[in-house]
Order: sequence, then C-alpha cells, then structure tokens
Amino acid sequence: MAGYLPFDEPNLMTLYKRICKAEFSCPSWFSPGAKEVIKRILDPSPITRISIAELLEDEWFKQGYKPPSFGQDDEDITIDDVDAAFSNSKESLVTEKKAKPESMNAFELISSSNSLENLFEKQAQLVKKETRFTSQRPASEIMSKMEETAKPLGFNVRKDKYKIKMKGDKSGRKGQLSVATEVFEVAPSLHVVELRKTGGDTLEFHKFYKNFSSGLKDVVWNTDGAPEEHKA
Amino acid sequence: MGCLHSTAAREFPGHENPVKLASETAFSVSEVEALYELFKSISSSVVDDGLINKEEFQLALFKNRKKENLFANRIFDLFDVKRKGVIDFGDFVRSLNVFHPNASLEEKTDFTFRLYDMDCTGFIERQEVKQMLIALLCESEMKLADDTIEVILDQTFEDADVDRDGKIGKTEWSDFVIKNPSLLKIMTLPYLRDITTTFPSFVFNSEVDEIAT
Repeated sequence: MAGYLPFDEPNLMTLYKRICKAEFSCPSWFSPGAKEVIKRILDPSPITRISIAELLEDEWFKQGYKPPSFGQDDEDITIDDVDAAFSNSKESLVTEKKAKPESMNAFELISSSNSLENLFEKQAQLVKKETRFTSQRPASEIMSKMEETAKPLGFNVRKDKYKIKMKGDKSGRKGQLSVATEVFEVAPSLHVVELRKTGGDTLEFHKFYKNFSSGLKDVVWNTDGAPEEHKA
Repeated sequence: MGCLHSTAAREFPGHENPVKLASETAFSVSEVEALYELFKSISSSVVDDGLINKEEFQLALFKNRKKENLFANRIFDLFDVKRKGVIDFGDFVRSLNVFHPNASLEEKTDFTFRLYDMDCTGFIERQEVKQMLIALLCESEMKLADDTIEVILDQTFEDADVDRDGKIGKTEWSDFVIKNPSLLKIMTLPYLRDITTTFPSFVFNSEVDEIAT
C-alpha cells in the first residue's frame, strides 16, 4: 500500500529492535481506517494484537473483500487435458489396450518410501500426504477396482491411461478432497500404486485411504504403512 | 571483524562460524542459524555433545532410535564426511545444502550416485542394488520370488547400464538420471526453503550481532 517496507534497517539486530518497539510510521495518504488496522497488526504483543477473526470484522478490511474459495493446490490435469485425452475417443479405445503403465525401476522402488523429511518433523508424522501400495494383480484390474471402490465413497473419477483423478463431492475442512493416483509397473507381476492428496484436508485423506484400501483388499498386496499405522 | 569472529566462536564451540558456512552454501546466515536450532535438538537427544551419532540420527528420522534401515545408514555415512562415526554441524549444513531446492542437478546426481555405490568402488554394481532391494522388501515384509527380483534388476540395468558391463558408472548414472528425473525426487527438501519459519527461535539466540546484510 505504501510502496515501501514499514521496517527497513541495514542491520538485522536494529531491525528486530524496531519491530519489537513497533517503531514505524504510515504515510500521510493512508486513510485513518487503514492506519488503525496496520497499527493493530504490527502490535508486538501477541495478546493485544488483532486476531484473524477480528480482522475479518474490521470495517476498513471488509470494504470490497471477497472471501476465498478453496482451490486445488496441486492439480496437474486441467479440464482441457481431460478433454484432449478423450477427444480422439475412437483411437484411444485401440491404444489403451496396447498402452502399459509407466515403469518404475529398482532405484525408484528403493527410494519411494524413504525421505529425509522426517528430520524436520517434531513428532512422528502419522498422517502423510502421499502413500502407496503394491499389488500382484494386472494393472487394468487395479484400475477398475479403484474406480469401483472410489465411486460409492462419493468420489468423482477421471481416468487417463493409468492415472486417476478423484474428487470428493462433499466439501470438507479445506474444500473438497482430491486425490491423484498412478499405477506403475515394477515387474510384470508387480505393480506399485501411488496416491497423493492434491487438495483438501490431510486428515480427511487419511480417513479416505483407510476406507479405500479396505475396499481394495482383494487387490492390495502390501500397503506402505497405511497412514495411521506407524510400526514403531 | 576480529570481534565478530570471537563472539561467534564462543557460541558455537567446535562448530563453524555461521557466516562462513553461509558463504559456502545456498543458505543465508539466518538460515544457518535456524539449522543450528535443528542440529541442537537432534544432537542432544541421546548424548548432549554437540554431535549427531547414529542413534540420534535414527531417532530423528524414525522417531525410534533402534530402528535401522540400509538407506538411512547410507545417508548417515554420506553426511559423516570426515568418517568419524558422528556428524558435526559443518557436515550437517554442507550435506543438507545438497537437498536445497537451489542446489545444482550435478550435486544431487553425484550424491545419489554415492548413495547407491555402497562399497565406494566408483560403480553401482548389480549386487549392491540387489542388496538394497532385498533390504527394502524385508522391511516392508514383502516376499518376492528371486526370479521377480532378477527381472526388476534386468530391466533397470537394461536401461541404465549402456555398455553392458554389469555395473553403472558415473556417466551412465548421469544419463540415466536425465531420462528419469524422479530418481532425484528424494534429493530436494522443500522444508529447507522455509527453514527460518520452521525454527524461529534463532532470532532471539542470534549471537551474530553486526551482520552486513
């Protein structure tokens, strides 16, 4: 709004001292409403500082404010992509039979459930945004079983070769839950299915996966610690 | 500058000056200080000696100090640059630097090569990959027929081992990584970009007074 920072010092410690004393001034062209809100936001005391709830009720803030709708945070496939995938529908009928899932090599398999991310988590991260299971069933069977299981759980399913995009019809804590899955072939008799939350709440993803994987028990061979199981 | 050096050295006993570490890595001084907060909590969890030993590393990764895993062992060995059996702060920062989103493809490729070259022969041999694969399967309690394991190895080596000598050299690995970028997925930790927000207490513990920003 001002075109410059409220606190701008060449030296880090002086900068922090100013922030803690709230030593700043608003430009003269700021309205009284704006000045008031800024003063309450840049309050060094967390007890007296304005809360988000109070901010949403502030008269100045409310002017022209439109509440957000929770979008998807990681959509890879857009509607155009889906249309493109299905536009040559006659052709795809023939090519689908020949198409195979993406292959996963030994190194990808070895590293798939390993990550250093846990170093940064203070507690065991029991609920992850990504999980996987292995299956000894053919890829096409895994795909149809996943579609069959997702639909009664209230999910809209979009398939593209060996990928599925699922979107829950209920709007949860952070909007609709959406999940992307892909089947990979490790060996002719072994497939790995990866699932990733692409939108919505992680706890809801965890609940979804519990139901989803039990519906798939005929197909699942081993699941990579279903998000709630932490073999300690 | 003399004052600065001794102040920092006092607060980081046996550890390297954060300004120096920042100049050698993709991290800023504030980020190195934030990493120090993380390092302190990991290195004091079993033995409070300012160093991360194997148990402390396992505790941080698995929340279980007894749990071991071939992959994690390799990572520990690679972080333990001076081969002392412990990781000091300098090792910690320099190793994590490779996982920074801004680190080069070359550095990440080199790290993964050394990760999989368990016996450090300069080649990733088929036997090494087999060992890691079996270890993973054991851990996940999956039993695969030896035939299936051989098929998986065959296909992987068919792709990667271009000169068909039964092992993957550095150049073959670089080419293989370019064709399969997901191999480097584990080499980037987005957490490192926001490290100062994850560990903000460094702000009040900062001993580096006059920083030329």
